[in-house]
Amino acid sequence: MHLTVSLNIASTTGQAGALTFSDLAGFAQRAEAAGLDMIVLDDAPPGRAGSGNPFEATTLLAALATVTSRIGLVATASMVAHQPYNLARRFASLDIISHGRAGWNATMAQAPSEAANFSRPDGFSSDEFRRRSEEYIGIVQGLWNGWEADALLFDKDSGRFHDPGKMHQLDHKGEFFAVRGPLNVARSPQDTPVLVLSGLAAGDLDIAARTADVILLDERQAARRKARHDEFRRRVSASGREPNAVRILADISLAANGVAGLADRMEEEFRANNCDGFNIRLSAHISALDDFTNRVLPELRRRGVIRQSYGGTTLRSHLGLSGGGDR
Amino acid sequence: MTARQMKLGAFLWATGHHIAAWRHPQAHVKAGIDIDHYVALARTAEAAKFDLLFCEDAAGLREADVSIASQTSRSIGFEPISLLSALAVQTSRIGLVSTASTSYNEPYGLARTFLSLDQLSGGRAGWNLVTSASPIEAANFGATGLRPHADRYERAREFAEVVTRLWHGKLGASGHDGQSFSVCDPLDLPRSPQGAPVMVQAGASDVGRDLAARTADVVFTAAQTFAEAKAFYDDLKGRLAAYGREPDDIKIMPGVAPVVAETEAEARAKYEELQELIPDDVGVALLSSYLSISDLRRYPLDGPLPELPESEGMKSRQALVIEQSRRDGLSIRQLARHFAGARGHWRIVGTAVQIADELQARFEGGAADGFNVMPSYFPGELDAFATLVVPELQRRGLFRREYEGRTLRDHLGLKQPV
Ligand SMILES: Cc1cc2nc3c(=O)[nH]c(=O)nc-3n(C[C@H](O)[C@H](O)[C@H](O)COP(=O)(O)O)c2cc1C
Repeated sequence: MHLTVSLNIASTTGQAGALTFSDLAGFAQRAEAAGLDMIVLDDAPPGRAGSGNPFEATTLLAALATVTSRIGLVATASMVAHQPYNLARRFASLDIISHGRAGWNATMAQAPSEAANFSRPDGFSSDEFRRRSEEYIGIVQGLWNGWEADALLFDKDSGRFHDPGKMHQLDHKGEFFAVRGPLNVARSPQDTPVLVLSGLAAGDLDIAARTADVILLDERQAARRKARHDEFRRRVSASGREPNAVRILADISLAANGVAGLADRMEEEFRANNCDGFNIRLSAHISALDDFTNRVLPELRRRGVIRQSYGGTTLRSHLGLSGGGDR
Repeated sequence: MTARQMKLGAFLWATGHHIAAWRHPQAHVKAGIDIDHYVALARTAEAAKFDLLFCEDAAGLREADVSIASQTSRSIGFEPISLLSALAVQTSRIGLVSTASTSYNEPYGLARTFLSLDQLSGGRAGWNLVTSASPIEAANFGATGLRPHADRYERAREFAEVVTRLWHGKLGASGHDGQSFSVCDPLDLPRSPQGAPVMVQAGASDVGRDLAARTADVVFTAAQTFAEAKAFYDDLKGRLAAYGREPDDIKIMPGVAPVVAETEAEARAKYEELQELIPDDVGVALLSSYLSISDLRRYPLDGPLPELPESEGMKSRQALVIEQSRRDGLSIRQLARHFAGARGHWRIVGTAVQIADELQARFEGGAADGFNVMPSYFPGELDAFATLVVPELQRRGLFRREYEGRTLRDHLGLKQPV
């Protein structure tokens, strides 16, 4: 069973004073000590002034990467706020900074009024947003794959820094974007940063089946998890990928379940093959995380449904995904 | 009251500023994929009390010709905002300035990202505004190519205005609805610990200078001779009054590429060693790209620079090179080799005393408020500057021995914005 925690930093509004970096570092370090696969850093949709969170997620991720060593770090970043070339570079860099532990959480749901802060006062229709998102994700993944794993030669004597035959232009020209590439950041230590998709509507499943490494199923779908999971696996196969190439994590909230029933419920859902694991949604209070790690985790370990400790060093290896790392 | 002291930036660039730096035996060839290398550089610069770290940026390869690109280390590196965010929590005093383009970003997102860097660092962030002069970058952001210089600067002017209003909490209920951008909400992060991140600029064309006079706190520039540096300094300071600003509101820090050693002979040998490592075609390609000409190899390499149409890329750098080729009567090959050392910036080769003399002369002669130091290779040449030149400047009372404050504005002696 894979376990991740979504840090809803925006929901800490109203906490006495703003969160500090050391609060968040402490949180990440405890999650790492508990052996969780990854932390997902939420990012507040812009426009809600006065949040208690002083950080944007990708900058926060870079900083957290320097004070942790094993746990995966996933930042939410919007496809409206960034150009695909810039976003691809940011995450490729974060992956190098974290030694292969970075992931990008792309939300397929449009944040209300976000486009209006990015010179798109009329926003996007859902259909347009979906087509644009798919094109966007394809560009980012294509750029991440522009450098072959052994492209860099570093040969001082012959004067060959890289092998030009192993660097590939993308030459993308689509409905919304034209991007030549290649990326000016080296290949990721885990081949590509992990792509996490969330906020999926029914119409987004095929896009996710084609592109995602991890999908987060939110709570509204809890009752239909089994059906969603099976249907999704079918679509992954239909898109030509290994059915197991994607991790499906179900959102679960500690507050809603209480500690006692949580381990039972998680084990039951996991054994019923409803999901590959869970994404625990928490506010950034260390006490909330401690409740989980001190009381629920030992129970899950005793039942043998989670691993004892990190086996590898990259996020892909924690998640058991194919791709590089630990080479 | 201490005497006026110079400001120093440590200009980081992967393996080093010399185009062949990566081939030097002591250069760290994997700099572009090694975060620990950068943490070490940041700590060296902070221990030497530099005002700031400066990161350049381009949203694309530096060189269009792939075979040339593969003979340099410049096709890969860290995206600088991620890099500086990591360094923010691994350092405690030094300022963190990243370049970012107004042509390929949106003001809301960029203002928010820099404010986050500012929060992570406790008020040490700065933004070096550039308009991006390369067609290679343009091709990563649409099919229409590099937009004209004037259009890029007009967009930059509006961009800077929106960012400043967002940082200062002055975007009212009506938001901003302008020529290139619209924004409706204020930022959702707390105010900057230093009032607002520091605004840096490096454009030196006429419109570039006007924009700097209007918005910048710090200006970087490339100048070879004292006369060029002085003329730029006086011109830019002279433009401030038109925007209701004082000469001291802007710090002018020209780039300087020192090659320093215990003796002058050693310094010269070190420089020659680097020069030997430049392949001719790499040097000429670098010069071509800064001159906005597709390929100077079409002309006899031992002949003079041909007549060139005025650049739509970096107008100021083109003018500087043409001026130098006339002044010193250099052939294309000689110009290219000279340019490969520091891309047209001022280069000084010598002992710590000689270098300090030169810096002091420009500083006291009213041609600079400080310098953006461009080590030829890393980490060796930053170490050499920190251990040889900085103590010499401190002995002369020209540079701080301790940080006076906490924020980048404190270091630079800039007013807190109201
Ligand atoms: C010290 C220094 C550093 C610069 N760094 C960058 C950079 O990182 N990225 C970039 O696109 N331009 C950089 N530039 C170029 C200028 O910012 C500017 O875009 C260019 O000079 C064109 O503007 P101009 O025509 O007004 O001179 C730099 C210039 C100087 C002097």
